[in-house]
Amino acid sequence: MDINITEDQRMLQDATRRYLEARAPVTYLRQLVEAQTPMPDIAWREGAGQGWLAPFVPESLGGMAESAQGAIDAAIVAEEMGRVVYPGHYLPNSVLAFAIAQWGSQAQRETLLPALAAGEQRGAWCFAAPGVDSGTAPDGVRLERSGGQITLRGVAANVQSAPDADLLLVTATDGEGVTQLLLPAATAGIEVRALDTLDLGRRLADVEFRDVSVTADAVLGAHGAAADCFEQQLQLALVLHCAETVGVIDRALEFTLDYVQQRYAFGRPIGSFQALKHRLADHAAQHEGGKALVARAAKAVQEQAADAAVAVSIAKSHCGRWATEIIRDCLHMHGGIGMTWEHDIQFYLRRAVSNEALWGSPAVHHERLCRLAGL
Amino acid sequence: MSATPDDTKDNAEEHAFRLRAREWLRTHLPPRRLQDEPMMDWADKALIARDRESQRALWEGGLAGITLPREYGGLGLDRRYADIYYEEAQPYRLPWHFGNAFNIVLPTLLAHGSEELKRRYVPAILRGEHLWCQLLSEPSGGSDLAGLTTRAELRGDHWLLNGSKVWTTGGLDCDMGICLARTDPTVPKHAGLTMFLVDMTSPGLAINPIKLISGTVDFCQEFFDDVAVPADHVLGEVGGGWAVASTQLGAEKASMARGWYEGLAAAVESDEIELKDEYGRMARSLGVHEDPRARQLIGEAFVLDAVHTLTTRRVSAGIRNGALPPTAGTLSSLLVALCDVRRSALLSGISGPAGVAAKPGEEGLQWGMTRVTRHRIGGGTTEMQRNGVAERHLGLPRDEADIADRTVPFNRRKVNPDRAQ
Ligand SMILES: Cc1cc2nc3c(=O)[nH]c(=O)nc-3n(C[C@H](O)[C@H](O)[C@H](O)COP(=O)(O)OP(=O)(O)OC[C@H]3O[C@@H](n4cnc5c(N)ncnc54)[C@H](O)[C@@H]3O)c2cc1C
Repeated sequence: MDINITEDQRMLQDATRRYLEARAPVTYLRQLVEAQTPMPDIAWREGAGQGWLAPFVPESLGGMAESAQGAIDAAIVAEEMGRVVYPGHYLPNSVLAFAIAQWGSQAQRETLLPALAAGEQRGAWCFAAPGVDSGTAPDGVRLERSGGQITLRGVAANVQSAPDADLLLVTATDGEGVTQLLLPAATAGIEVRALDTLDLGRRLADVEFRDVSVTADAVLGAHGAAADCFEQQLQLALVLHCAETVGVIDRALEFTLDYVQQRYAFGRPIGSFQALKHRLADHAAQHEGGKALVARAAKAVQEQAADAAVAVSIAKSHCGRWATEIIRDCLHMHGGIGMTWEHDIQFYLRRAVSNEALWGSPAVHHERLCRLAGL
Repeated sequence: MSATPDDTKDNAEEHAFRLRAREWLRTHLPPRRLQDEPMMDWADKALIARDRESQRALWEGGLAGITLPREYGGLGLDRRYADIYYEEAQPYRLPWHFGNAFNIVLPTLLAHGSEELKRRYVPAILRGEHLWCQLLSEPSGGSDLAGLTTRAELRGDHWLLNGSKVWTTGGLDCDMGICLARTDPTVPKHAGLTMFLVDMTSPGLAINPIKLISGTVDFCQEFFDDVAVPADHVLGEVGGGWAVASTQLGAEKASMARGWYEGLAAAVESDEIELKDEYGRMARSLGVHEDPRARQLIGEAFVLDAVHTLTTRRVSAGIRNGALPPTAGTLSSLLVALCDVRRSALLSGISGPAGVAAKPGEEGLQWGMTRVTRHRIGGGTTEMQRNGVAERHLGLPRDEADIADRTVPFNRRKVNPDRAQ
């Protein structure tokens, strides 16, 4: 969270926190997991009804894009979601709403934005090939054009919310460059293969395109001209992803600090042992670093500043790495109880470890930074 | 770094000040040559002498103590004028050996000094007459500053100091020292301390240089043998030395966070992240710029640099606007220390064998050497900083032994049995 948020943003933060604590606390995630059911559609609709996507949707279509600061406002919401390990579909739907609002035709905007914003349609974004380097390049899907027909082939890996999506945004490449398309998930030739996920609050899938044939009106923006659009979407996704990670750390550190002051050993609170104090001090410092980086990344992306690409990769490396380190250690400080199914910290750690690996691991972003530095 | 100063925000008076500063600096200060001249080097006597002359010249030219009150020799102007001065001073070397004097001693003197001490010692700094050192750490310990053992006893109109101080940066060349000593051993350790202003040429004060790993001589050990300090040279109250030391340590931390060498960076900073070319240059010169392992380390170094600058900026702005509590300052000092130490690991990792075995005359060892010499000890070790974050910022309980140690009278506390007299 930036230290310079506006009064409106403070209200957005408070309202989001209150809503999530009332309607989707981490016990809600536990219920879903134990009942082995995904989050019901109606629950996502209720959340979306809070106006979560409004910062991306123009006023003429019921949103508030003109008066909002899209990436910054959305980062505030995402951070709150991290605090409760929210199982909803915020990130992909934000990216879709942003992309359609920015580059969509009048018809695409009018038919899709209100439905996404209301949570009636749910989106997912397909772009990355599988593999260790996955997550920051549109290398999963190839495209072939002949006449007015377009054929898609390939696999987009680890697509967030794909098992629940009605609408897919696909970023594909051909000799002409990068092209984006919008198509129903139910289009013939698309197979959504749900994956087993470490993060129990998130559903991912590999999406295979087997000679999927669509017409040119599925294209979002201009054919072959979406490289920059892709980068802007990626930046937004990374801001939300990192903001969520900051929220995950924030809450885990909070309850760990409580715990070490209540738990006694050798006649004193375990939080008075220097071995724990020093590690918690390091964690608090690294966490503050993460907040500073995410605040800068959100602002840079919102303003399309020259350092936006750099800022998101820096934030992703730092937050990814330290979320895992910090929350693993928080679990450790709980002793045996931390290892139990019954304790909520597992949900935090599962999300942290997943967030480190997805959307480009720290290693992937270090390499990206070298390239951005001209090395 | 030295972009053309932005003078569009100046009002008429500010602009006149800018033009005067520009012209004066051009004719009076030496050029800035950061490539081959360190900011500070206590072994370089010529550089120290040059800094003294520069400070003297700044005083005579009416550019010393821009924001300091007039009654103490300053110009009494607001911060904007200091920014203008630093913008205009970008091409020149500033008298950075006065860092301790300006960053630490001045704020402490202004906060605790008697009127007489302020009128005497503040202008002496501005005139370039006094370089100052800090006489805090002792051979028996620096982290536990309040546990120091140098004694001061009142004899009529002066105090007599006996004991030893150590790791004193610039001890041999400084004119004055700000010295914490024990005036009452019968009360708990923090309560029995008093701060003195000590003339470093006093009879009975022996100063011995200490050689560092790098081979240079930066700091010293002092032995006090009945060193007489006038009674009116107590800073603050007798027995109130800890409060003065807290101001002093706070000033040191604040200036480390702000940038010790004032005027080094242009005053106007953008909040955009810049990737330094330093790492790329280094990797190219070592021929490892395409090596995937080296690129991982370089990528991480970019991350560290951004964490360092953005966190420092966030915390100081956040404390100023009330979004963060004042104790958040402990977070950024600790994080900067962690980044610094980690950066040295990255540099030596990128250079690999070339950092430990270089062809004569070729560069390389300077990167490996950071792994040897880059530590966070001076200005409070990382452990002390962690204690600060944990206890002051996170509110975790103090250690019981620590509580016991701070509550017993000093002369009845536990000591190393081998050392007890
Ligand atoms: C470059 C440099 C410049 C300096 N300049 C000055 C100067 O100008 N004036 C001056 O007075 N001093 C100066 N110092 C001294 C510096 O402040 C001390 O070295 C420092 O405070 C540590 O004290 P010490 O060396 O006695 O180590 P000790 O206090 O003996 O510490 C030894 C080790 O024990 C650890 N330790 C101690 N207490 C605790 C604790 N409670 N919990 C956990 N770990 C602990 C420390 O972190 C350290 O690792 C300088 C030091 C350096 C390196």
